[in-house]
Amino acid sequence: MEYILKNGIVYDPTHNVAGDKKDVMIKDGKIVDNVSSDAKVLDVTDKLVMAAGVDVHAHIAGPKLCLGRLYRPEDSRAGLVAKTDITRAETGFSIPSCSATGYRYSRMGYGTVTEAAVPPLEAKHTHEEIMAIPNIDVSPLALFGNNWFVLQFVKANDLEGLAAFVAAWLKLSKCYGMKVVNPCGSEAWGWGMNVHGIDDPAPHWDVTGREVVRALTQVNEMLGLPHSMHVHPNDLGHPGNYPTTIGTLDAVKDIKKNPNVIRDQTIHCTHLQFHCYGGTSWRDAKSGAAPVADYINKNKHVTCDVGQVTFDETTTMTADAPMEYDLYKLSGLKWANKDIELETAAGLIPIIYSPKAPVNALQWAIGLELFLMINDPWQVVLTTDSPNAGPFIRYPRIMSWLMSSDRRTEMLENEVHKWATKRTDLASLDRVYDWNDIATVTRSAPAKILGLEQRGHLGVGANADVAVYDIEPENFDATKASNASVIEDVMGRAAYTIKDGEIVVKDGKIVKVVPSRHMWTNVTGFEEQEKKVLEDIMPMFNRYYTIKFENYKVFDHYIDPAIEFKIDAGK
Amino acid sequence: MKTITLTLKKFSSIALEFEELIPDTIYNWSKEDFENYQVPVGNSKFPLTNYFDIEVEGDAEGPEDVKMILDGDMSRVKYIGYRMTAGEIIVNGDADLQAGAEMIGGSLKINGNAESYVGREMRGGSIEVMGNVREYCGTSYIGEWRGMSGGIIKVHGNAGKQLADCMSGGEIYIGGSCDILAGIHMTKGYIEIGGDVTRWPGGQMKNGAIVIKGKLSSLLEGFENEGIFVDPDIEGKQLTGKYIKYKGDIGVNGKGSLWLNAEKNRNLL
Repeated sequence: MEYILKNGIVYDPTHNVAGDKKDVMIKDGKIVDNVSSDAKVLDVTDKLVMAAGVDVHAHIAGPKLCLGRLYRPEDSRAGLVAKTDITRAETGFSIPSCSATGYRYSRMGYGTVTEAAVPPLEAKHTHEEIMAIPNIDVSPLALFGNNWFVLQFVKANDLEGLAAFVAAWLKLSKCYGMKVVNPCGSEAWGWGMNVHGIDDPAPHWDVTGREVVRALTQVNEMLGLPHSMHVHPNDLGHPGNYPTTIGTLDAVKDIKKNPNVIRDQTIHCTHLQFHCYGGTSWRDAKSGAAPVADYINKNKHVTCDVGQVTFDETTTMTADAPMEYDLYKLSGLKWANKDIELETAAGLIPIIYSPKAPVNALQWAIGLELFLMINDPWQVVLTTDSPNAGPFIRYPRIMSWLMSSDRRTEMLENEVHKWATKRTDLASLDRVYDWNDIATVTRSAPAKILGLEQRGHLGVGANADVAVYDIEPENFDATKASNASVIEDVMGRAAYTIKDGEIVVKDGKIVKVVPSRHMWTNVTGFEEQEKKVLEDIMPMFNRYYTIKFENYKVFDHYIDPAIEFKIDAGK
Repeated sequence: MKTITLTLKKFSSIALEFEELIPDTIYNWSKEDFENYQVPVGNSKFPLTNYFDIEVEGDAEGPEDVKMILDGDMSRVKYIGYRMTAGEIIVNGDADLQAGAEMIGGSLKINGNAESYVGREMRGGSIEVMGNVREYCGTSYIGEWRGMSGGIIKVHGNAGKQLADCMSGGEIYIGGSCDILAGIHMTKGYIEIGGDVTRWPGGQMKNGAIVIKGKLSSLLEGFENEGIFVDPDIEGKQLTGKYIKYKGDIGVNGKGSLWLNAEKNRNLL
């Protein structure tokens, strides 16, 4: 099938196209530079055209989601949509049903989403849920930061062994890249403890977060994985945590990037908003965004996503189990905990972010500060750490805040608690994002950060993942506060979402359902070392895991259809 | 005043759902509108006339002018009075699950027994059940920590398990006996039980008051005796007789009060 999207206003930051009126041509699922006369013409005259969105960090599939649905049946009541001839019924707001997750991303014009925390033990379950999510390709990241084998290799300073282990475990779990969550902290939680800062060792291991992050980052670059180290640093959500954040980023500064990757960074710091708090307690908490943004502005080895608070009743779920327990003690609502044997632990609580609550207002303002203080939009990505700071369906609302300082002022003056004004610099930031910046932080930058060459842009050869929005950028003043609701509405229901050359959304409605592909990284060139490492660790595996190694692996039928990223680590 | 009478002519063993048939939506419906209406039954919809004879008399300006009478065995009709804000519904028979759930105003009277979830998450209005109710009367939705917040539920018969779970306001009166965990997780509101109670009223209650006029078989450990009071005034309600007062649930630092009739619970004196 061939399409030509005619006369759209195109934003493609990767190719420095910023609001040019031009045609986008599609053939056989790819962007091309000419099509035959049989091509179907889609008239998108003067409408906003971008590559389909790419989400660098969300929690959409896996055991945490399932636990969340079991534990929060009341959340299923929100977001009810009846089935249609094409779609299944939707339920849920912060933890939507699998199919609803796909439809909602698709309606916003997104085409690729990263599932940010997959414990390899539960990777099968994660891939099962991805099979049930339609219309978005999913790049799952496996958790390594509290894995006993990783701690063992780090302790022995055996990077070669660790690299082979990572290569083997990505194959076993069919994951795309590496994620670290509160390194050593979630392991400490097994003893009812946490670690504080990056130099506080895990009990009984004598290994610190700094050592884990450094070793895994070195391995990441040694193997040349498409995505960099993806870190959720220690001390999430604790006042006074920003030095830990900067310390974590600085700990890998000297590590050289693999020359074969398209990304620029060696470390991606996720949901940075939760890691930028100053003060010493919630009594005197204040923003720590300025020093962190300053560090990022000066250091190109770092990228981040924000984890913007959206003032919703949502669900927090993370492999940072000790932090979830702290949060539960603060909120007094309900709490669920999940132990993942030798790998990690997870926690889950419902949370209500209220604009009138001082702490929530502060978090909201810090998130926006980061967006506005980090100068290069290629270093910052729009996320809500969905559903932790808010569900992903709020992305359009965040866009409206970024595009209008008047709207932000209106909120600071009338809607949010005064901590947002008094304890942050948000009120003094009048920078606004234009459509090019929005395209960067929602498409181009996340695709590049993830190392996805064929996504997030509209160059020839790219996947034909395209979003068209029913708005005329040339005749629309996005800086006006009163237009914020228009942006939210329009960006939430794409006029067209095209996935691999097929129209899946038209006028905000799902018109076609296609299976999501499982993206995974196949590291080659380490086969001998992998074999040896597996032999070495097998006694410990057999002793401590509750399942047999033969049942641990994700078999190929769990990842159909798949996209395999073959990496020659020997290069 | 508009009187709408639905008389059951065919009983369906698969439940009918009445969430759309509340005064708020039907106050301006004519007889023809009812005859054209398709009622949800299981996973499909069928004409209301398959199941009911319909009579409509008078006119209504708004839902407050509506009186709905449901005659017959409604034990397979769910969601009667769901989210109603005004008007009156009378059920001359039993009612199925979720009668008066999420009710905001108006009145619902059931001249028979009702199934579980009567007045779930009720915010206002009144419900009167002449017979018994089953489990979870006046509670929250499953998983939800915010339950009934207003209105009055009166049950002349007995109540089942977990009465008023997570209650945060309003009043509940049970004439008969009550099963386990009445007022569990409650944070505010008033519960009065005329008969005996099996076990564990007020588990993890933070505040509010529970009065038990009959015998309690088993009290939770988290309740501290605060002495005996004669003719106590509890949240503006004047009771007569001697009551033993407990404070709890201390397990959650609760400041709720549990009042037990001293005569019936002499073993606790």
